Amino acid sequence: MGTKLMDRRLFLKAAGATAGAATTLQVGCLSYFKKGRSGQADNREVPTTCELCPNKCSAIAVVEKGVVKKLNPNPENPKSRDMLCARGNAAIKQVYDPDRLKQPMIRVGARGEGKWRAVSWDEAFDFAAKKLSEVKAKHGPEGTLWSSTEGFQEVFFKNLGLAFGSPNLVRHPTLCLASVNLAYSATFGTVPSFDLLNSKFVIMSGANRFESIITPDTMDLIGGVMERKAKLVYLDPRFTVTAAKADEWYPIKPGTDLAFILAMIHVIIKENRHSKDFVAAYTTGFDQLAEHVKQYTPEWAEKETEIPAKDIVRIAREFSDAAPRALYYAGRRSSWYQNDFQMRRAQAILNAIVGNWDQVGGMVPNAKLPKGEFLFMPWDEPKAPRVDEIDKHFPLAAKGDGVYLKLRENVLSGKPYPVKAWMVYKQDPMNAMPDQAKTLRMIEQMDFIGVIDVAMSDMAWYADVVFPESAYLERTDPVEVMPGIWPAVVYRQQVVKPIHDTKPNLEIVQGLAKRLGLSDYFDYTIEQWVEAEFKELPIPMAAEHMKKHGVWAATGQPSYGKTLTPDHRFVTKTGKIELFSERLQEAGHDPLPVYSAPVPPPSDRFRLILGRVGYFTHANQTNNVWLNEHMKENDLWINPKPAERLGIRTGSTVQVTSSVGTVKLKARVTEEIRPDCVFMLHGFGKKSKMQSLVYNVGASDAVLLETAWDKVSGNAAFHETFVKVANA
Amino acid sequence: MAMKKRRYALVIDSRKCINCKACAVACKAENEVPVGNFRNWINESHQGEYPKLRIDFEPEQCHHCEHPSCVRVCPTGASWQRKDGVVLVAEDDCIGCRYCMIACPYDARYFHEESGTVHKCTLCIHRIDGGVLPACVETCPSKVRVFGDLEDPTSRIHELLSTRRYQVKEPQTGNGPQLYYLV
Repeated sequence: MGTKLMDRRLFLKAAGATAGAATTLQVGCLSYFKKGRSGQADNREVPTTCELCPNKCSAIAVVEKGVVKKLNPNPENPKSRDMLCARGNAAIKQVYDPDRLKQPMIRVGARGEGKWRAVSWDEAFDFAAKKLSEVKAKHGPEGTLWSSTEGFQEVFFKNLGLAFGSPNLVRHPTLCLASVNLAYSATFGTVPSFDLLNSKFVIMSGANRFESIITPDTMDLIGGVMERKAKLVYLDPRFTVTAAKADEWYPIKPGTDLAFILAMIHVIIKENRHSKDFVAAYTTGFDQLAEHVKQYTPEWAEKETEIPAKDIVRIAREFSDAAPRALYYAGRRSSWYQNDFQMRRAQAILNAIVGNWDQVGGMVPNAKLPKGEFLFMPWDEPKAPRVDEIDKHFPLAAKGDGVYLKLRENVLSGKPYPVKAWMVYKQDPMNAMPDQAKTLRMIEQMDFIGVIDVAMSDMAWYADVVFPESAYLERTDPVEVMPGIWPAVVYRQQVVKPIHDTKPNLEIVQGLAKRLGLSDYFDYTIEQWVEAEFKELPIPMAAEHMKKHGVWAATGQPSYGKTLTPDHRFVTKTGKIELFSERLQEAGHDPLPVYSAPVPPPSDRFRLILGRVGYFTHANQTNNVWLNEHMKENDLWINPKPAERLGIRTGSTVQVTSSVGTVKLKARVTEEIRPDCVFMLHGFGKKSKMQSLVYNVGASDAVLLETAWDKVSGNAAFHETFVKVANA
Repeated sequence: MAMKKRRYALVIDSRKCINCKACAVACKAENEVPVGNFRNWINESHQGEYPKLRIDFEPEQCHHCEHPSCVRVCPTGASWQRKDGVVLVAEDDCIGCRYCMIACPYDARYFHEESGTVHKCTLCIHRIDGGVLPACVETCPSKVRVFGDLEDPTSRIHELLSTRRYQVKEPQTGNGPQLYYLV
């Protein structure tokens, strides 16, 4: 069998250098087609890139007689670590799902009633273009909203919104990771990767990395922890899979992570354990930080967090001893409290003072690769300001992404101006945004809603017209560069022809553009777009390579320490790593993270906390039959102590009520959660009858969640809702 | 030339398992396993009282036993074992009596309604015979399963079993199971 069947970890070990050096990936040595596979006559094996979540793993589709039978991991992508998770494997059922959108449809009943008329593409395009033009005539192009989530074809949708003249594009980050991105950018001028493959000591809070799978972090960390190469300290109110695998788990009092981090900084500075050379050479504001954290003693933090002071001191010592191969790991889909930005920034500061920046086993700025750009006709900048007033309320936030919850507030109030048409691509705001009743009010006040999606999401269910997009296995998409410690380029090519009357997003955009008089801006094919991107890739015979392999990774070793030169300028105001941030101060925010205690739930209520499992990330995955059979319904986790008081048993139906909604679902009485919290999994309790496996099954967290956001980034704060629980 | 002797087996490092179900879904696709049936699965055990807790995951499937009771009880010889240890069902000979399902100590077989025969893990012989890893082994994000040939002293599983402590499940049955769980 030889190397063909060699275990990957062993391979890494064999390839790695001497003890103490970085474990390195031998990029390019592994090849799918060297594995001894031989395609049979009516078989094809087509490299592509998974789209079930944003990780962009490389996969090889096995096609038999025109049908996708299997997806195998493609080992050539260093980021996907020669694996394909349950979701990736189940992508086949996205194509062959009987619930799929099979042709364009126009609503005939009331919104959400589920009465539809199948129409031709021409009729669907004409209808949408007429409605969009009506809203434009009455309210200007800014009266239209274009919301989308990340995907290789998202660019075409965004460009249509911009060419139409709307400033109101809103994307997923403020329902996801905007607070993390902004916190690390504010400190380092960039968002780094975390070198978990080589780290020896990892602290994680506000992230559940063994169930919310991120490549390569999940794979590297589980290997490191289980092979005793790394120690994992994990804080979570819930005993997750990550908690079960961690060396130490602390059921931290929710919302107090910042106190824990500030006390760690306190200990490290007080005991002179910070990296003095690094702090002096590369950072600014250390003296102010040292003064600021004097108040945050471990004894104080014990009262806030319920983590013993002696453990905080010990963890701080172990962390600084292990530095620079020590990390406080950043999260993702990650804003839990209204102080989330400051909590993430405190993590960044803690990482900075132990000098783990740009070090093996520390945080590493991402390497990038060049890619060509297709040059299309430019449009005029939108004239109107954004409806979410991002400049006024969130001056540091990413303008192109917008701020979702503030946007909804302003659309509902009609101020500063009315927004009456809503186009949605590949996103389900009904489940992604907190407070579903409020989203429904936003839907009600729209004159027009158009949705582009593969399946009838809850958002699509409330649309006026639905444009069925081809599944990723049926499409060729733009090329994507994935920055990282080992940067790569991935390509998604059509594996099978569309099995229904669906179109790739570009063709849907072009159909609309033609009728809106915007064709000149979209006068190209996907092939022309991709060819232009191939041209500047640093790969010989790029087009041939990408079509044959689906991925290209830079060969050679990752180089650590490129930014550690005396003349390196960080992309911050001072050019240094900003422990103290003048920019934050100018924007009216705390220049150093200031702790304020979270409001605890009243005695008759619980804090509602959310999460994921390894096989469901997005709300659209619960209706995938190969994933759904592993969990058909979500339930409410409740600790036995309060459950006994309330007479709640596992399996009994409970009513859960917040200030904005009520749901019913089954209870799971479990020791694996703090007594002051309840938990439910995302993605159930669908309103769409074309999500037949989860329609009205379990409950949607979005119904219960209240509107709250992080003050700096505008990121939704998902753990700020208190609920009452009673037997139904 | 005499064929080199092979004995295929799996070593399972359960501690690395994160219960993500990738193995189960990969098997489902690779072997066209009907919804509701599984050729592999993950056992869970939850212990303790808050906050002293423990969860263990344990991937399981056919153990491809040395002395498989499913083969012994089969009245038609449909259940059989290859020389390399892989336990299979010859569908043409299976009458669907399901004795083998009762005889299996691991509940690793299921009745396939459409064909009227019993199905089970084949260790992906259609892949391994071509030098490709079984689907569950290949796809696993944390590389819990290690597949290999016990007769090959250079194999990774040989190394693991000679350097690490391990156990097998239900050894008292005398089946001689060939799924080795590292402890």
